[in-house]
Amino acid sequence: MEPRVTDPDDTLRYPGLSDHGLAMLRRLSEHPFAPRFNNRSGHRLTSELLTRVRDFEDEVLTSDVGWVPNTLPNWLDAFVTRAYCQVPHYRQYGHQPTRFGEVPTMRRADLTDIARFVPDDLPIDGLIHYSTSGTTGHPLTIASHPVVAASYVAFIKKAFATRGITLTAGRGDVGLMLIGWQHKCFTYVSVTPSMDESGLLKMNLHPVDWRDRADRARYVNDLAPEVISGDPISFEALLDLHVSCRPKALISTSMVLMPALRAALERSFECPVFDFYSLNETGPVAFSSRTVDDHQIVQHRLYVEILDDQDRPCLPGVRGEVTLTGGFNPYMPLLRYRTGDRAELVFHWGTPALRNLSGRPPTVYRTASGDPINNVDVTHVLAPFALSQYTLHQDASGALRFRVRGRHPTEPIRDALYGLFGTANEIKIETDVEFDGKAIQYTRAVQPSGFQIGEASVG
Amino acid sequence: MTAESVSLEHLTRRVADCPADFLAPPYLGATGVVHVDAVVSDLIYAVTGSRPAAGQLTLFVSANPMADRNRLAIVLLAAWLLADPAFVRDCVPTVEQILSLLGSATAELATTATATRLLGDPDRREELVRFSLAQLSLRPMGESEAQAQDRLTTISSTERQRVIAAARGAEERARAIREQLAQKAAQEAADKWNRE
Repeated sequence: MEPRVTDPDDTLRYPGLSDHGLAMLRRLSEHPFAPRFNNRSGHRLTSELLTRVRDFEDEVLTSDVGWVPNTLPNWLDAFVTRAYCQVPHYRQYGHQPTRFGEVPTMRRADLTDIARFVPDDLPIDGLIHYSTSGTTGHPLTIASHPVVAASYVAFIKKAFATRGITLTAGRGDVGLMLIGWQHKCFTYVSVTPSMDESGLLKMNLHPVDWRDRADRARYVNDLAPEVISGDPISFEALLDLHVSCRPKALISTSMVLMPALRAALERSFECPVFDFYSLNETGPVAFSSRTVDDHQIVQHRLYVEILDDQDRPCLPGVRGEVTLTGGFNPYMPLLRYRTGDRAELVFHWGTPALRNLSGRPPTVYRTASGDPINNVDVTHVLAPFALSQYTLHQDASGALRFRVRGRHPTEPIRDALYGLFGTANEIKIETDVEFDGKAIQYTRAVQPSGFQIGEASVG
Repeated sequence: MTAESVSLEHLTRRVADCPADFLAPPYLGATGVVHVDAVVSDLIYAVTGSRPAAGQLTLFVSANPMADRNRLAIVLLAAWLLADPAFVRDCVPTVEQILSLLGSATAELATTATATRLLGDPDRREELVRFSLAQLSLRPMGESEAQAQDRLTTISSTERQRVIAAARGAEERARAIREQLAQKAAQEAADKWNRE
């Protein structure tokens, strides 16, 4: 279905749409090289809501993360108290502990009834929700609000400022192009009212959505977006198009961005690549903008702990589970939410950051002689290769099966894995694999010794 | 309610002064601080001079953290109350009576009260005191059996009605939230600048 701006629901999707906003929607959807757009979305911001978005952006851009080693942020106590008083889920905990470290932790599986996370004193008009299928067996729905959705850009601007980048897209420009590479992808066109209704679109680079494959590069080049946002798979596809446009920055999310792919993107587009660690539950948590392992915390009202399996805080530099309290979505206040992702907490000149961030509990592989190998080490040895998506599985005999999207020379990858595992492990490599959506990146079969299948970062 | 205890004011004051050690989160397997079974065992020994058998304490070890958190927190509050020597000055309860109060009776109380309210709300403090006294066939000093029973019934009934009304209100709001989220506009969501 092609977007039609005459749809009566458009007044709700784009409140206050101006003539130039309307012209932008038409340009995006009726462009001679445009793909098929199969869904509808909008900012849903009235002037009153837009004021709240702008106020929040000002707050974000002028705030520091605000906590340093061995301290708690000054907003934390009031946040916890409010959650215990106003949020049905937390009220059932009983009385509020005197020490923050005694607040019970929670997991994704605890988010089954999101209505119980909406504070009693918040109006529910205008509530929206986001759903994700999840790869851990727990599909997730998150209550949210158009102000929350529109506030993502504040954190992106904050991250961009660390590299001296200021967004200037306005009337008649395309501010953001979200790209995907999926057989079936939710796509739409919209405008960003806080940036004078500059264009925003989400499109699928997979040929299935295009009349002519060659239209993809023509369309991207003609729109010349100021920012392109996607995941490593869609960026790999974008690289193959050899487009000539030069955005100010690229935003990569959803999957691990390998350093070599980041470098290839930076070379090709001549701009920084920002790798965001972002969750449906919290929005953007942290970002990295250089080829290093550290992701700098970006939210100023989000407290990040690294916990061991017994809910004890790990010392800085010790790996554990990323656990979050706070956030900017008032409809989803989180108290000590264990994300399932793992990292070390480090501090750069007093600013907290996540090092060696990876998803889900670690998978421990074994060499032929039985020595353990953490999946993080696998990530490190594969860092030189511009891989967008891969999986590594070790079967019960110890043999390894490496599968990778796209065409890559196999021998350098094999040599890298031999360097880690030794040459006694059989290694089978398959290239040009088509994964069905997200895949569990690191797995291991049950062995006679009792080691279990693990799952690691979603690739 | 055959025997008198001390004054109601003395006991409600004691609840209000509950020290942090008894307000710390109960141990729930992976989280929490206070091992409630050990507290109950020590309390029974201090009051009766006898130790309960290990099998009698299983109710005070969490099998379901979400369901047990509030109940065990109330057990700790009640244990603090019972640890007041004046509470049982004229009538030493048996091991079984204490286990009954802290076990099944407290579990029943936990269905209509949270530890937070039993500690912070004056009426709920009184309910906890009267409830605990009644379980041990005691009444506040200066009250007749009829007065004590009447007051306990009134205060418990009022609280039950409040809890029922609150639960009904919470369910109505949850239903309204679910209906709002099910609307087409909510499902369509709104623009974000990055995916997850």
